[in-house]
Amino acid sequence: MSGKSLDNRRVQKFHWMSRFLSGWAIFRQSFLGKIGLTLLALFALMALCSFIPPLVDPMYQPMAGVDPEISTVTGPSTRHWLGTDFMGRDLLSQLLAGARVAFMVGVSAAFMSVFLGTAIGMIAGYMGKFADTLLMRLADIIMVMPALVVLLMLAALFGQLSIWFIVFFIALFRWPGVSRVIRAQTLSLKHRPFIEAARVAGASHLRIIFRHITPNVLPLSFLYMTFQVTSAIIIEAALAFLGFGDPRTISWGMMLQWVWKTGHMFNAPYWLLPPGICISLITLSFYMLGRAMDEVLDPRLRKEGQTD
Amino acid sequence: MGNGKQTILELDRIVKRYRTKGFFFGAHGQDVIALNEVFIKILRGEIFGLVGESGSGKTTAGRLIVRLEQPDQGKIYLDGRDITGLKGKASKDYSRRVQMIFQDPYQSLNPLLSVFDTISEPLIIHKIGNAEAREDSVWQAMKSVGLSPPHDFAHRYPHQLSGGQRQRVAIAHAMVLKPEFVVADEPTSMLDASMSAQIFNILLEMRRRLKVTFLFITHSLAAARYLCDRIAVMYKGNLMEIGPAEEVLRNPKHPYTQALMDALPKFVHSGGVKRYETLLQAEREVSGYVGCPFFVRCKVARAPKCSREKPPLKKLDDSHSVACFYAEPGIKTRSGGKA
Repeated sequence: MSGKSLDNRRVQKFHWMSRFLSGWAIFRQSFLGKIGLTLLALFALMALCSFIPPLVDPMYQPMAGVDPEISTVTGPSTRHWLGTDFMGRDLLSQLLAGARVAFMVGVSAAFMSVFLGTAIGMIAGYMGKFADTLLMRLADIIMVMPALVVLLMLAALFGQLSIWFIVFFIALFRWPGVSRVIRAQTLSLKHRPFIEAARVAGASHLRIIFRHITPNVLPLSFLYMTFQVTSAIIIEAALAFLGFGDPRTISWGMMLQWVWKTGHMFNAPYWLLPPGICISLITLSFYMLGRAMDEVLDPRLRKEGQTD
Repeated sequence: MGNGKQTILELDRIVKRYRTKGFFFGAHGQDVIALNEVFIKILRGEIFGLVGESGSGKTTAGRLIVRLEQPDQGKIYLDGRDITGLKGKASKDYSRRVQMIFQDPYQSLNPLLSVFDTISEPLIIHKIGNAEAREDSVWQAMKSVGLSPPHDFAHRYPHQLSGGQRQRVAIAHAMVLKPEFVVADEPTSMLDASMSAQIFNILLEMRRRLKVTFLFITHSLAAARYLCDRIAVMYKGNLMEIGPAEEVLRNPKHPYTQALMDALPKFVHSGGVKRYETLLQAEREVSGYVGCPFFVRCKVARAPKCSREKPPLKKLDDSHSVACFYAEPGIKTRSGGKA
């Protein structure tokens, strides 16, 4: 008999895979999804490549490496493909390092905010009553606070903020949107007969939450994560551009801040454009990915003739 | 069903109200009374039918019994023990003895759990047996509801099953704990006729083999007659008539039950079937009366008595009771045009 239960596990794995594959089939038909994924793959490649230049020559280190023969802004050359900044640092390696930081900031802040938002939304939706009111009013309060302004004030108060502090604060400010959606989903799930069937069978609240509700809201959380990534990257870039970023990490916002600060805004397009375009494209690609995933999860958004 | 059998479940003057939401700040709207002093005794081993139109409170009664909701007044006894205030472990033990089959098999199964996982879930919750013993129980339950060979179904997911198969899974889910009492809330209303008959036979087989007592909630008099030993007819949360199924349906005493019989579509033998004509075409216009709930639609009713006083359940013989002033034992109720 135990052979069969092993079998069950295997089939379950298979089931998840078939769900994934059928979702993938719909995703592939989405034009937005394909572009988004391609762009993201490019950025991921950039982030991976950021480890290469410092290995080639120490002068390509994005932060500390300075070309010994150059001490000012230069245009693209064979030695520096994108040129150098005001101290003779290589712009390409900065751009690559920026991709790594953007992923780091975006994904970790999004993960934290979605985790918080899902947990809080599920608690509020499932417990209802007092907990619901309390948590949702808290969400309202945070939602109306302008995250960027508060972060600027914090930066002014505490001096330079570390990148992880920024990530943490972005997460802290971005969970309410997720928790709203998850709460609504939990509320609708809570009154479905299969939850009541579990209650009649004697399941505890924890078991209902983890066994029956969580798996049914997780796809939604996952979807919101892609949108959260977008907003986290933009907030971080804005903060860095305004001069309140972490001075020890190189992000695209930071590169823009240097262009601006050193007065090369309009006479060094090879310095200004790449980080600007990268910020736009990476947020766009996450957004498009989210839209395509939305189509997979919400059948009403699909075009005619598409089914699971 | 004489008095020789013992009572397993007793609803003792249960009242359940739902509060409709009012406007701003307090001043809530009217209460909707879903159950009004309902008193039912269900005997061990029988299939007890609860019949009534939609909104008559029959599903609410079922939900109260499985403790999905709490009554506002009254008590529910299982084997003489009050279960309305159970908490924690006692409540969990209760759920092992009393289970429910839900109406809509498309909604009552978790779409992300396989058939095997769905059916083994109650066993895991109650920590019954080890993995192997649980598996045996699941196979057994699946076979007993006609999901065979079980291996073909164990690894399927709800969206890969038909309505009838889903309802079988739901029944197996309720039965795997071997409960003593099962509330079946219109288990076949979403299925077609041939499926219904198969489900009924599964329930009958369950009763024969496992000695389960059923509360069978239905709006179908035919199903009630086929399946039930005794039935209770409900209208707007009130018990109108209660008695052996054959007796109540062959010889209905309450004008409402008679109206229900009239409402049945008649195909072939319509010639010999007597019609009671107890339903008023237009409702009476009365406001704020406290009498018989059926008064506004009843042809038999007479103005001062029926509109002022709620008729109590009256025993016609030792098993058949009717809540109507004008029901007489043995004689047909007054019927006809005297409105």
